[in-house]
Amino acid sequence: MSNVIKNPRNGCALHGALQTVQEINGAVPVVHSNAGCGVVNYLANQRFSGGASSYSGFSIPGTAAQERHVIFGGASRLREQIKNTIKVQKGDLYVILNSCESAMVGDDVDAMTREIVEQGEPVVDTLVAGFNGGPHYGYEQVLGDIFKSIYEVKKSGLKRESNLVNIFGIVPQKDPYWQGNLNELQRILTGLGIKSNVFFGTEGGVADFVNAKNASASIVFSQWGELPAKILKEKFDIPVIYRSSLPIGTDKVQDLAEAINKVISLDESLVKDFLEKEEHTEKSLFLRVRDEIFELGLSKNAVIIGDEEQVIRLGGFLKDRLGVVISSVVLIDSLKKDEAHETNNEEELRTISENIYKGIDQKEIDEIVSSSNAEVIFGSSLEKRIAEKLNLPLVEISYPIADKLILNKADAGVNGAISLLENYITVVKQYDERKKELASSILKEVKGGESWRELSQKKSFLRQSNLITELPTREYISAQR
Amino acid sequence: MAGKIGKHIAIYGKGGIGKSTTTSNISAALAEAGYRVIQIGCDPKSDSTNTLRGNNYLPTVLDSLREGNKIHLDDISVKGFGGVLCIESGGPVPGVGCAGRGINAAVNLLQELNLFEEFKPDYVLYDVLGDVVCGGFAVPIRDGITDRAYVVSSSDFMALYAANNLFKAINKYAPTGGAKLGGVIANSMKPGYHREIVDDFVAKTGTSIAGYVNRSLDVQQSELYGKTVIEAKPNSAQADIYRNLAKYIAENEDLVVPNPLGSAELRDWARSWGDRIYDIENGVVNGVAEAI
Repeated sequence: MSNVIKNPRNGCALHGALQTVQEINGAVPVVHSNAGCGVVNYLANQRFSGGASSYSGFSIPGTAAQERHVIFGGASRLREQIKNTIKVQKGDLYVILNSCESAMVGDDVDAMTREIVEQGEPVVDTLVAGFNGGPHYGYEQVLGDIFKSIYEVKKSGLKRESNLVNIFGIVPQKDPYWQGNLNELQRILTGLGIKSNVFFGTEGGVADFVNAKNASASIVFSQWGELPAKILKEKFDIPVIYRSSLPIGTDKVQDLAEAINKVISLDESLVKDFLEKEEHTEKSLFLRVRDEIFELGLSKNAVIIGDEEQVIRLGGFLKDRLGVVISSVVLIDSLKKDEAHETNNEEELRTISENIYKGIDQKEIDEIVSSSNAEVIFGSSLEKRIAEKLNLPLVEISYPIADKLILNKADAGVNGAISLLENYITVVKQYDERKKELASSILKEVKGGESWRELSQKKSFLRQSNLITELPTREYISAQR
Repeated sequence: MAGKIGKHIAIYGKGGIGKSTTTSNISAALAEAGYRVIQIGCDPKSDSTNTLRGNNYLPTVLDSLREGNKIHLDDISVKGFGGVLCIESGGPVPGVGCAGRGINAAVNLLQELNLFEEFKPDYVLYDVLGDVVCGGFAVPIRDGITDRAYVVSSSDFMALYAANNLFKAINKYAPTGGAKLGGVIANSMKPGYHREIVDDFVAKTGTSIAGYVNRSLDVQQSELYGKTVIEAKPNSAQADIYRNLAKYIAENEDLVVPNPLGSAELRDWARSWGDRIYDIENGVVNGVAEAI
C-alpha cells in the first residue's frame, strides 16, 4: 500500500537534467514534453534559490506536445522544434531533453538528433525520462549522455593537460550554494596550481565539456557524478578521484591536495604557501569570534537534514571545529529503492552521527527532529515549521531555501567555512535576541502590586522561555492563578 | 452517458483469429433482422468493417484528428450492408506513437460528436485488437462504455492465451463498473477435439460458449468478394450459424466475471491437452478402453 509523502522536496529526473543544462553557458536546452514540465521546474527553483539562468522557465525551447503527438508520435514535431530553435537561439551546443510521455510513446529522439547532427549542427540528446528518477539522477544521466556524444559533434584534437581536472558531483540549483561553491573550489584549485573544468555557472560552459577529455583527472565530490567520470575514464582513460564531499576548512583542503597529489604531482612549495595563507586567513577570522563561539554556546546538539554530501561536509566541520554534537542526520538525496553507487560513505557518515535516516517525507523528518534532543536544526526552509513549533533556531543549508537570495555565496572551501560560521552565529544571535525580546515583553506585563505567586509564575515562564511559542497575554497569566 | 443508448458490445480476440469477420457477420445479421447497428473498429489496422462496406475507402477517426480540422460524423462514418454504420478508429503508422491512446482519443471523440444520440443504435459493436497490450486497449471495457464483452478464440493455445489475458482485464475492471463477459465465440472449429479444448477452457474459467463457428470455405470466398457471408451467401448454412450467434448475443443477459487461469495453471492445462492430442493422433488407448 502506498503512503502519503508530505512535502517531497525533490523534482523528477527531467528537472535535474534541465537545471543542469540550463547552467551550462552556451548550451540551449530543447525540452520534448507537454507544456509545463519546464515551467514547473522554473517556478520551483526561481522561488527557492538563486534566480534563473538565461534559458529557463518560459524561454525554454520546447515542443509543447499535444494529444496528437502522443498518438501519432512526436518525433517530427521535435525535428521542427530543433530546427526552429537553431534559427532563433544561438548556441554552442543544443541538448535535447526527453520527457515521460515521449519515453512512453517511444519517440525516436535519437534519430531526430542524428538527422540534425548530419546537417552540421551541434546537437546531443538524453533519453532519460522524468519517471526514471530524481533530479540527482537526472544530473548524472544528462552529463553521461552529453559526454557519450559531444565529441562526435564538437571535434578537436586530444591533448592531455597535466594540471587540468574535471569537477563533478555538485548538482546545480539542488545545492543552494552550488555557484559559490564551484567558484570557491576553482579558486582553491588554482591556488594549488591546478586548472579546472567546472562546467556550470559563471566560470563554466560548453568549452569545459569539449576540453574535459584533455584533463588528467576527474574529481567526483559526491555520490552523484560517478557516471560522467566513468565515461571519461572509459573513453579517454582519465583517472577518477572519489571524494565523499567538497572540502570545508583548510584542513580538508589539505586532504584534497594530498588526494590529488597521488594522481597529479603538485608543486610542493606552491601548495605549502597556499595552504599557509589560507590557514592564516581562516584562523584570523575564526579568532575574531572566539568569544562568541563560547558565549553563544555553539557546541549544541544538532540535527542535519541535507544531501549526503552536505551532511558529510557540514556535519564533519560542525563536529570537529565547533564541537557540535550531531544527534541525527537525514539524507534527502533522491535515491531509488536499493540504488547503489561506486562509493559507499556509510562508514564516514557513522563517524558524524549514530542516527542516520534516509527519506524526504516531511512528517517523518519532523518526527525525527522532535524525538532528537536537538537544540539547533541545520536543514531547509521546509524545516521552518517544526523549528517554530519546537522553538529551535534553524540554519538553512539545503534545498529548498525560500527566504534568502543566494547568488555567489559559498558554504564549502575556506570562504565557505567562514560563511557557515557567520550564518550559524547570526542565526543563534537572532534566536537569542528573540528570546530576550520575549522575556522583556513578559516583564513589561509587571505593573506592580502583583502577588508573590503571580511574579513567581512569570519567572517560571522566563526560565522555560524555550518552550513558549506564543507571547503570554495578561489574561493568560491571570488564568494561571 | 452515451452508453445508455443501445446495447454496447466489445468483441476481443487474438490478431488474425477472425474477430473482424465474426463481428461484421454479427452486425450484418443484426441489420438483416431489422436492427440499427454501429460497428466501430478499434484496431490501428482499421480493416474491421471492410466486408460491410465492400472495401470502399473510409477515413479513420484518428486520420481526421491528425488533420486537426473540425470533425463531423459524416466525415468518419459510412453506411454499409443493411445500413450498418461503419467507423474505424485507426491509429498511428506501425512502430510510432501510441495506438492505445489513439483508441482512447477516438472513443472520446465519438462521444463528443454525440454519435449515439444522433444515430440511435440498437446495437453498437466494438471490434478490438485483442491482446490488451496496454490500458488503451481496455478502454472499451472500462468506464461503462460497453457493459459486455465477447472473445473470439480458436482452439489454438495462443488464441486461448489471449482470451485468458482478456479475462484478467475484465476481472480487474468489472468491480469498478467495467464490462462483464458474455461468452467465448469458438471460431475456426474443425472436426475432432477442437470443440473439446475450448469447452474445457470455458469450464476451467467459469465462462460459457456463445456459439461455435465452423471453419468454412464460404467465409473465405465471401471475404475475397469483399462481403460478409450474410450478404454474399445468405442461404448458406454458415450464414445461419452467424444469425444464430447474433441472436444469442442480442438476447444473452447471462454475464459473468471470469476466473482467469494463472500462468503456471494455464501452462499445465495446455500441457495436459498436448498429451491428450498426441494420444488421439497416435491412436493410444487410455482409461477403461485400455483393457479391451
